Amino acid sequence: MVQLLGNDTTGLAGAAPAAPAAPEPSVAGPAFAARGLTLSYGGTAVLADIDLDVPAGAVTALVGPTGCGKTTFLRSLNRMNDRVPGFRLSGSLELFGEDLYDGTSDPLVVRRRVGMLFQRPNPFPLSIRENVVAGVKAHRLARRSELSAIAEARLRQVGLWEAVSDRLGSSPFRLSGGQQQLLCLARALAVSPAVLLLDEPTSSLDPVSTAAVEAMLTSLVPDITVVIVTHNLAQARRIADHTAFFHQGRLAEHGPTARLFDDPSEEATRHSLSGHFG
Amino acid sequence: MTTVPVHGATVSARAHATRSEARRLVRRRLVDRVWWSLCAAALLGIVVPVAWVLAGVVGKGVSGWRWSVLTTATQGTGGGLANAVAGTLVIVAGTLVIAGSVGVAGGVYLAEVCREGRGGLLRGASEVLAGVPSIVLGYVGYIALVVHFHWGFSLLSALLVLSAMVVPYIVKTTEVALRNVPTAYRDGSEALGMPRTYALRRVVLRPAVPGIVTGLILAMAIAIGETAPLLYTANWSNGYPSTHLLHAPVAYLTYPIWTFYNQPQASAHRLSAEAALLLVALVVVLIGLSRLVVARTQRHTEGHRGAR
Repeated sequence: MVQLLGNDTTGLAGAAPAAPAAPEPSVAGPAFAARGLTLSYGGTAVLADIDLDVPAGAVTALVGPTGCGKTTFLRSLNRMNDRVPGFRLSGSLELFGEDLYDGTSDPLVVRRRVGMLFQRPNPFPLSIRENVVAGVKAHRLARRSELSAIAEARLRQVGLWEAVSDRLGSSPFRLSGGQQQLLCLARALAVSPAVLLLDEPTSSLDPVSTAAVEAMLTSLVPDITVVIVTHNLAQARRIADHTAFFHQGRLAEHGPTARLFDDPSEEATRHSLSGHFG
Repeated sequence: MTTVPVHGATVSARAHATRSEARRLVRRRLVDRVWWSLCAAALLGIVVPVAWVLAGVVGKGVSGWRWSVLTTATQGTGGGLANAVAGTLVIVAGTLVIAGSVGVAGGVYLAEVCREGRGGLLRGASEVLAGVPSIVLGYVGYIALVVHFHWGFSLLSALLVLSAMVVPYIVKTTEVALRNVPTAYRDGSEALGMPRTYALRRVVLRPAVPGIVTGLILAMAIAIGETAPLLYTANWSNGYPSTHLLHAPVAYLTYPIWTFYNQPQASAHRLSAEAALLLVALVVVLIGLSRLVVARTQRHTEGHRGAR
């Protein structure tokens, strides 16, 4: 029924001449849609035949044993694999309905819309303030006079303002690891991305910093779609609405986190999630 | 100084030592001592010649030092060295501009622009160039620039030959400095959607600056100390350097050291010693300068102070 209604409205919108459907990210559609996606390096497939919808406005966790291809998948979502020698992609991957790899999308624009946070915090060798607005300046999203206000707003958003407001001009490398990661988060958020990709963002952080980052992430939805690679199954369970389980280069199973953990249908998933391996 | 932990180790080892363990300990200490002695000898092998040279040069230069050396030009085998000091500074500055821009661009190309495994031609050519004796470069410069192009003994031919000589060092140090920049900076700027050249200028180049500057200063120090290529291209002049790039020989500090030393006059010998002193002083100043620059920028990247 819902499906039919959805089809119907699309048909109507297409028929109405006054409404040239703007490519606006609709909450109904998925943020990413992978169809028959195969990723390979130098002829060796790392991931094969992935069909996956990453729901918009939710937290999706990618889990699986080391080497299962989940990070490769994550990095192709913002085209970070483009410059890796020997990287090949077949099938299709869409971001809010636009194909990422059909040659029409600009990787720089894609990466503005799809931000990324890495395993180790990687602030730039610039002042704290310049770190936050680095992307804003690169994309010329704001006037010079507005940069300070943007820096303050984003640092407040990630809860770092109190700690750094008196040393915005000094180096970020004196901050703790957790604070550095929050700074990187502020930097990623400053360019107003629609999606945030995270590659094990808390694996080098202590429990308190981890909690701070996790709290930040859950507060971002539903405005921002969050995709997180994690080795920490408890973390996936805490913060993810959906979980996709990768195993040996394939997408073994995916679905709402609670169902996947409590009632996995695949043998591999059951073994991994119940702690037998992975 | 390091005996404390060693001593501690012996005590705990003795607590339950077998005979073979005790023997091994003695052997280890002996080997340790031999290696440390070799290290100390190597250190002496570097420090002693430097101290010797410095003492000789400073001793000869300082006795009978006249400040007028810095204000008057050379007349025959007498007078001062102001023209040579000025000439050396002009030559070094010009080399820095030409070799600096070419060398840094080459290093950036090798480290950032060309694909992995490419750039072999540039890298190979650069290495061969580094191995060519300076006198050969000077001779080639003489044949090609001075004679064939009819440039005469001139500043420009000197600059080109010296630049060709030091470019390989700048290429190498720039490439190495850029390759040592953590990939996390590149990943981070790429993930933010920065264009590559923008990321290079704003993020990646910054931590590489100490290495690049060190290369530039090393190149300048080499250019200051060269004689052979300059004999062929700049020749020598009693006058101050002019604005003419061509057909005007230039004075420089290495010339009087050797040429005047072989003259009979006492005034020539004194000029020779004074030129050596000035040369060493210039090089020491340059090395000190490089230390300062490196300390400053490194402090910055390690994170004591942020941007500007």
